[in-house]
Amino acid sequence: MDDKYKFIDFLGLRFNVANDLSALIAAILVFIFVFSLSRKVTMRPGKAQNVLEWIIDFTNNIIKSLMPDSAVKQFGLYAFTLFTFVFFANQLGLIFQVKVGGYSYIKSPTTNPMVTMALALISLLISHYYSVKKFGFGGYVSNYVKPVGFLLPINILEEFTNFLTLSLRLYGNIFAGEVLLALIGTVAKSFGVVSLVIALPLEMIWQGFSVFIGAIQAYVFTTLSMVYISRKLEKE
Amino acid sequence: MASLLVLGAGKLALGDMLFILISFVLLTAAVSKFAWGPVTKMMDARSEKISGDLDYADQERARADKLAKEREDALKNSRAEAIDIVNKAKENGEDQKKSIMADAHSEAESVRQKAKSDAERAKEEAMNDAQNDIASLSLEVASRVISKELNANDQKSLIDSYIKELTLNNETK
Repeated sequence: MDDKYKFIDFLGLRFNVANDLSALIAAILVFIFVFSLSRKVTMRPGKAQNVLEWIIDFTNNIIKSLMPDSAVKQFGLYAFTLFTFVFFANQLGLIFQVKVGGYSYIKSPTTNPMVTMALALISLLISHYYSVKKFGFGGYVSNYVKPVGFLLPINILEEFTNFLTLSLRLYGNIFAGEVLLALIGTVAKSFGVVSLVIALPLEMIWQGFSVFIGAIQAYVFTTLSMVYISRKLEKE
Repeated sequence: MASLLVLGAGKLALGDMLFILISFVLLTAAVSKFAWGPVTKMMDARSEKISGDLDYADQERARADKLAKEREDALKNSRAEAIDIVNKAKENGEDQKKSIMADAHSEAESVRQKAKSDAERAKEEAMNDAQNDIASLSLEVASRVISKELNANDQKSLIDSYIKELTLNNETK
């Protein structure tokens, strides 16, 4: 929307305070969440441990459906952290948004393409790194001309489209969700009590739907990251 | 141009990317240390324990099956053995009965033989006695005849009566 952001320039790099602060809060929330659930780790799991193990099994199953079981050891932690972080980042803006003096400070960090691109970049870096590690640099490069040589440009282009679709899908979904949320909020303020009564259930419904979308997108982002990694790791 | 590029780069807020990268890596490290590590370790340990327990249960079951089979076999054997023992006892009894009967028969036979021989001997002895008696009686008769002076007739009738008496006595014996 037409939100204004505070920027800090540091070492020639520009930092968007809203993105960074929200991402930090999301990361801290994720940490508090998993930390509090893993305090009493026992052979017979309690309630908290069961919740955590359920999430771990969930992300592990994403990997198992795409790669051999041994890959769980390699990418399990990454998939788990990615899923929880994206999930919390998606929900953060639904629960609270902070604006001070017209400047937005706290929102969903995933409503900004730079953040989602950073996350997609991590996934792609991991996929390329493990591809080189598995096939050697020669094997990694020769994978671009497989199965046939003339596909080279398409294969190279695919790397960029993967990156863009992965990041922009997440960004688009969450951004659109929050835009509509803000729009309904404006409707609520437009005609006083009458519009408020109409807009409140709408806002609640859309919030519920956004929670759903946030969860789905976290799942999709994790799954596609793992798909790109698995594609880089299989011999064509 | 150069400043425009720098400005463009600045406007993209590339610092965000760096910030996200660093914070994500730190988050991953923290999650790994405090939650992922211990929990997955415990999950692995649990799955290992479960598979171990299952193996153990399988082993125990096989052992129990084997034991039950052994027991059953032993029971079957013992029944056969019992039948064997009873049969043997019966046979033994039969044998014993036979031998006892045979012994009894032979003993009875020997007793009969002995009684027979005893009777025979007694008869012989009686005969001998009788002969002796006859001899002594004859002597007595002779002495009486001699002592009594008789006439020829009397003498004759007397001797006849004695002899008659003797033969009668002899026949009755």
